Amino acid sequence: MNFASTQFVPSRRMGICEPLPQIGMWSDYKENNYLDTSTPAILEVDSRFDNQVQFVLFIICMHCLVFFGHMLINLCVIYVQSEDTSHGIVEPSNKYDQEVSKTNDKQLRRLAQNREAARKCRLRKKAYVQQLENSKLRLMQLEQELERARQQGLYVGGGLDTGQLGYSRTTNPGIATFEMAYGHWVEEQNKKTADLRNALCSDITDLELSSFVDDGMNHYFDLFLMKETAAKADVFYLMSGMWETSAEHFLSWIGGFRPSELLKVLEPHLGPLTEKQSLELSNLKQSCQQAEDALSQGLERLHQILSETVADGLLGEGNYLPQINAALEKLKAMVRFVGQADHLRKETLLQISRNLNNRQAAQGLLALGEYFQRLRVLSSFWTSRPRESS
Amino acid sequence: MHEPILYGNLLLQQKPPTLRNPNLNPNPNNVKGIKENASSLYDFSDLKNMVKDNAVIVFGKKGCCMSHVIKRLLQALGVNPAVYEVDEVDENEVVIELEGIRAGDGKQCSMQFPAVFIGGRWFGGLERIIASHITGELTPLLKQAGALWL
Repeated sequence: MNFASTQFVPSRRMGICEPLPQIGMWSDYKENNYLDTSTPAILEVDSRFDNQVQFVLFIICMHCLVFFGHMLINLCVIYVQSEDTSHGIVEPSNKYDQEVSKTNDKQLRRLAQNREAARKCRLRKKAYVQQLENSKLRLMQLEQELERARQQGLYVGGGLDTGQLGYSRTTNPGIATFEMAYGHWVEEQNKKTADLRNALCSDITDLELSSFVDDGMNHYFDLFLMKETAAKADVFYLMSGMWETSAEHFLSWIGGFRPSELLKVLEPHLGPLTEKQSLELSNLKQSCQQAEDALSQGLERLHQILSETVADGLLGEGNYLPQINAALEKLKAMVRFVGQADHLRKETLLQISRNLNNRQAAQGLLALGEYFQRLRVLSSFWTSRPRESS
Repeated sequence: MHEPILYGNLLLQQKPPTLRNPNLNPNPNNVKGIKENASSLYDFSDLKNMVKDNAVIVFGKKGCCMSHVIKRLLQALGVNPAVYEVDEVDENEVVIELEGIRAGDGKQCSMQFPAVFIGGRWFGGLERIIASHITGELTPLLKQAGALWL
């Protein structure tokens, strides 16, 4: 039994040499055990035992103990090992040594893999940071261009040759106007929501409350009018949600809020409702849902028709101007869809206000105002959240 | 290839009018009064009968998605509307014809497609349908016209 080689296991594959704790234990044990010095032990005990038989029995007992000890250690090693693979490294002569070195190798392998992963991670992070820096530069360039173009666009007005520059958002005066107007609208909306909150807390007459309600409703209707004009300038801008915050756009339907969803949000915040009001609200929800489904299906039909129109004729021939012209006509229907969706929103708001008294309507408007505020705040938190390192 | 023949001209011409391709108008759903022979295809006076005979009829331009929306909405309510798809070339004549049917309503707004007639009377377009559905006026009107029996 040679324990000398087990203290340090050279690994050809890894190129490292490390002492293992188990071996440490064993080297300790090695120092004060008698297994390595079996011959001297026999000579030593020879003088201690008169009887040869007793001596032989003793030796046999010792060997049995060693054997059982060995077995126990083997069992422990096998239990510790999770995998049963050989690594093709230096194979010690001892069976126990083999198992111990297998554990060694697995640990070494794991450590090496960790290092590899960490290295890759650092490389990826470096690449990501590089990309970010580039994007930042590009962004600054674009912002400067935008500023210049906007100034030019607003100055020249409709005379700008959008054909050459491409139908880009930055040079579309209709959209630039809408963006500015919408920014003001949001500011106004937040102000009105705060005022409404204060009004509801204070001692306010029903008449004053009704004027708050009318004002709030009209503000939404103003937005629909703004959107109608913007749709004529660029309906895809509205549909893409570039004017909305990300969370609002995620929840949107045909360029704005989904009326039935809105009713579900509002319902618990209207205060106590009479049975008649509950019933009417439930009917309204259902009617909205039906109208939304019909519009959605119409939009799907438009997708189909547009696709067919563009793909009409022989794809690949190269001359496709007639198909483009036909498709242009179809695209105009998009403007009507956004218009009809906003019309549905307006009618829903009107109908719900007809069924509620002034206080309930005011509470509804407050809830609505804060709901959209929360969505906008959520979007800005999302945009500025710390990114996890790759 | 066909030549559009104005209804007015039909009376003046002595030679028999050119037959149009009967496949131009695909078979509309549930339209009572559409005869499969040649006469109805250039004679739009039949539209009057169509409007009278159908509880709900939707006139829409061919391939129009808005009339599809109206159809879907009415179907969701349990109505099976008659749908008449108007070819682009026939548009003007159909408009004239339909406005003739409408005459006497007192309303001055011009006819636009899609146009819905309920119970033989002009009702409106998609906007009116949506608005009346939300306010709850549409369903009783449909029941009154006999389009709904629930």
